[in-house]
Amino acid sequence: MRAWKKFIYNNMLFIKIFLVVICSISLVTILITFSSIRIASNLFIETSSITNSNVLNQIKDRFQTYTLSISSSKTKIEADGTIEEVLKEDHNTAKERSYYYYNMIDRMNAVYSEIESNNINMIITSPQNDIFNMNYFNWPVDSRDLLGHSMTKESNRNPDDILYHFADSPLTQNIPMLVATKALVDKDKDIYGYLYLAIHEEEVRKYYEGFTSIDNHVLLLSSKGQVMSSSKQDILGTKQSRLLQQVTGQRNSHEERKTIELNNEEFILLYEYLPFMDMYLVNLINQNMLRENVVDTSEIILLSFIIVIVAVLITFFILKRMTNSISKIVYQISDMKRYQFNKPLQETGGYEARKIAKAFNYMLDELQDYVSILLRTQEKQQRTELELLQYQINPHFIYNTLASIKFLIKQNKNAAALTTIDSFISLLQNNLSNINELVTVEQELDNIKSYVHITQARYGEQIRVNYLVSPDCLSLRLPKLILQPFIENAFFHGFTRKKQGIIQVLIAKQHNELVCEIIDNGDGIPESRMNNLDQTKKLFKGLGIKNVHNRIQLQFGKDYGVDIESKQMKGTKVRIRLPIIS
Amino acid sequence: MNSLLSRQSILSVLFLIVLLLLAACSEDEGSNGNTNTDNNEDGGKNTITAWAWDPNFNIAALELAKEHYEGETEVEIVENAQDDIVQKLNTGLSSGTMNGMPNIVLIEDYRAQSFLQAYPDAFFELTDYFNQEDFAEYKLAPTSIDDKQYGLPFDTGVTGLYLRTDYLEEAGLSEEDFQDITWDQFIEYGKQIKEATGKNMLTVDPNNMEQLRMMSQSADSWYLEDDGSTPNVEGNEALKSAFEVYKKLIEADIVQNTSDWSQFVGAFNSGDVASIFTGNWITPSVMAEESQKGKWTVVPIPKLSTEGATHYSSLGGSSFYVLNVEGKEKAAEFLQETFGSNDELYKDLVTEVGALGTYLPVIDSEAYQQENEFFNGKKLTSNFAQWMDQIPAVNYGMHTYAIDDILVVEMQEYLNGKDIEEVLQDAQANAESQIK
Repeated sequence: MRAWKKFIYNNMLFIKIFLVVICSISLVTILITFSSIRIASNLFIETSSITNSNVLNQIKDRFQTYTLSISSSKTKIEADGTIEEVLKEDHNTAKERSYYYYNMIDRMNAVYSEIESNNINMIITSPQNDIFNMNYFNWPVDSRDLLGHSMTKESNRNPDDILYHFADSPLTQNIPMLVATKALVDKDKDIYGYLYLAIHEEEVRKYYEGFTSIDNHVLLLSSKGQVMSSSKQDILGTKQSRLLQQVTGQRNSHEERKTIELNNEEFILLYEYLPFMDMYLVNLINQNMLRENVVDTSEIILLSFIIVIVAVLITFFILKRMTNSISKIVYQISDMKRYQFNKPLQETGGYEARKIAKAFNYMLDELQDYVSILLRTQEKQQRTELELLQYQINPHFIYNTLASIKFLIKQNKNAAALTTIDSFISLLQNNLSNINELVTVEQELDNIKSYVHITQARYGEQIRVNYLVSPDCLSLRLPKLILQPFIENAFFHGFTRKKQGIIQVLIAKQHNELVCEIIDNGDGIPESRMNNLDQTKKLFKGLGIKNVHNRIQLQFGKDYGVDIESKQMKGTKVRIRLPIIS
Repeated sequence: MNSLLSRQSILSVLFLIVLLLLAACSEDEGSNGNTNTDNNEDGGKNTITAWAWDPNFNIAALELAKEHYEGETEVEIVENAQDDIVQKLNTGLSSGTMNGMPNIVLIEDYRAQSFLQAYPDAFFELTDYFNQEDFAEYKLAPTSIDDKQYGLPFDTGVTGLYLRTDYLEEAGLSEEDFQDITWDQFIEYGKQIKEATGKNMLTVDPNNMEQLRMMSQSADSWYLEDDGSTPNVEGNEALKSAFEVYKKLIEADIVQNTSDWSQFVGAFNSGDVASIFTGNWITPSVMAEESQKGKWTVVPIPKLSTEGATHYSSLGGSSFYVLNVEGKEKAAEFLQETFGSNDELYKDLVTEVGALGTYLPVIDSEAYQQENEFFNGKKLTSNFAQWMDQIPAVNYGMHTYAIDDILVVEMQEYLNGKDIEEVLQDAQANAESQIK
């Protein structure tokens, strides 16, 4: 379970996308499938049911031909005087009967030959049990049976009409038949015979069978609801009152599509009235079979299913690849700590993944750079501090100062020795404390003065120092030992040729900065040495002007620092800019 | 995943799978939809078809032949009404394509020539497939052209006069009285029987001149000359005599009129008539009425009073023909081994189907010597077989039924009083004009 959870969690993105894709494809497929099925069903009904006017007209024409044969035969028989004559005569002798039989067959043949090709059989019976059957094999029937049958009796009751009957009994050898009957009536309304025009139901079915199939049935329904002919064999001859109800509602079904239930199956009902037969041509379309057979539902579903699977698989692989590369990146990123952010990401996978990796790597590189800058700066700071520390405790200066003091004492200049010692003490006190500490300008000036004093004590007063300090700066603060190196520099390097001169120290507020200038009128610094000022041999080992500049910039930023101007044989001007700190 | 299968190969494999599935599905669709059932006449290379009518007689005979056949060929028997077969044959043969034609077809002897002469190339010669001498002579002429046999003779329509012995008794007559008589004598007896029993002597269908045909052939004469195409009505003494007999029968009021088969059979089955004048194939129908067992006998038919008249004739009878379609040799072989030479088959035909073949070698066999209880122990088959051998051979020619139709009309005229010579003259003229 946990493994599953972990799997899901790790592949969240992929799973989300994947689910969306599956759902979309499935939804689309299902909708289109059912839409297609519906369209196909409708198309089938449009084109192959009897509502298709072509189909319907063809069937109607065929039925019309049939009824035309029936009615024309009937008319001709009725009009035939010979038939009427011989049927009505007495036939007692063989000769008379011979004449009778011969004429009947002869006259009937003339009319029969016209309908023979339609597979319609013609039979005439006389009320005296004579029977004349044009095609005995079509319907081998006995005269008494036929005369006693209900169809004859019905024609007896309605002698003026052609009546259509359905028969399927021992009378017709259990072959379903459609028999059109007509009583033969003379001018006095007496019946002299009966005409039967019989056709096997099988033949009638051929009129419409071309349009039927296992789920698309056509049947002929009489106005009394009896199924006279049908491609659906199980209801042949039966009375379908419910069906009759439905079709008699309106003469044809063009307006609405009805459904009806027969034998526990649902059918779409379409129908058309055949006025010349007073019958209904009914089309029953089995909805379920329609779906199964006309539209091969299972095939469509199978196809859809396959397509869905294939699409899903393809999507799966593509997505997996994509999200894989992203997952890889995610993993590498989370693992980055181990490699101290040093190991770059692999730039593989899809376009997006590579772009991300590249950008990330670039960022890493930048980070590295900044870190190294930071490190270097820190290093520099540390070095500076170290140097300053060294500067602070420079042994040479101590030796020399003590030597100077000793010399003064030896010269019995005790007062000078005392002041020198005071200055030394002051200097040491000042320097042996935190370099980063800010002191006031006043304190720094004191410091400088102590230093100058000591130096002058050793080396004389050829070089004089002037202090021009604006009073409002006195309380401002600045880092220690900013000015001292430059004064030292001025002393020891500024007057190697000129033996005497002046060093001026100016401190004032300018443009919102604390500006300190140390100006001497000494030798100046040749250009070649301007850049190497921190490498010159001097008393303050390692602490150069550049160092001060760096210190200032480190502590206060790039806006501040040290500028040096120098002209050979004219002098040097050192300008230090510091922020105003109160 | 990436390292094992490249994206390309996965996609192409999937694509192939999809294609295959679609192809398989559409194939299914094709076969599910329209299954065209070919209505082959030949079910396969080894099947031949045979057309015949009458399930109780001809079809049964073919089935029996199949049982006796030991060859490999499958025979498919198709039943249709005779008229339908004639119509289909005409349609098929006249179209010239022989589409839908069977291998073997049964054709009535009266019609055979019209087919053989109209479609000379449609039939396969069978001369070498059977020994002509094994068959009754009268069958050979109708089934051949220029001495080439095209039909294998099947059943004989050898005629007999069936008599109700009980009615005869009532009228004081016996079977012997009817042996070797003329038609005039027959008519006299008929009147006697009518008086005594009230029963008519025989049935007559005014629309079918079979009586004329039987009588003509018995006197070695036919509607047509020996050439088979020239009408032989006028000046035909036998025919004239037959006409006269017919009229006398009618006028003696001893006939029952019928207009179809069921009325014909019904007439003797219900005991309405005292005799039946027709071919031997009516025997099963007579025997169908069990209540009449033992009341029937059969004698040779009466003869005309003309020269050369005999007591022997035939009504109907058909033969098997092989059409010139694929499988003709197989069909011919089938016939050769069954109806052409199989003694056992002919014996079984008699005992099981009641069909009397025209195959002479079995006439003396035991099967043919059986006594028929229905007919009071008479050796019916043996008698008929002997009579068959004596039937005058005539050429039915091409127009038998056409002339028959003309004679039907003329008979009515004759019955109404028209002079016989005129009748025959008019019939001759009619026939000549129709045939040309």
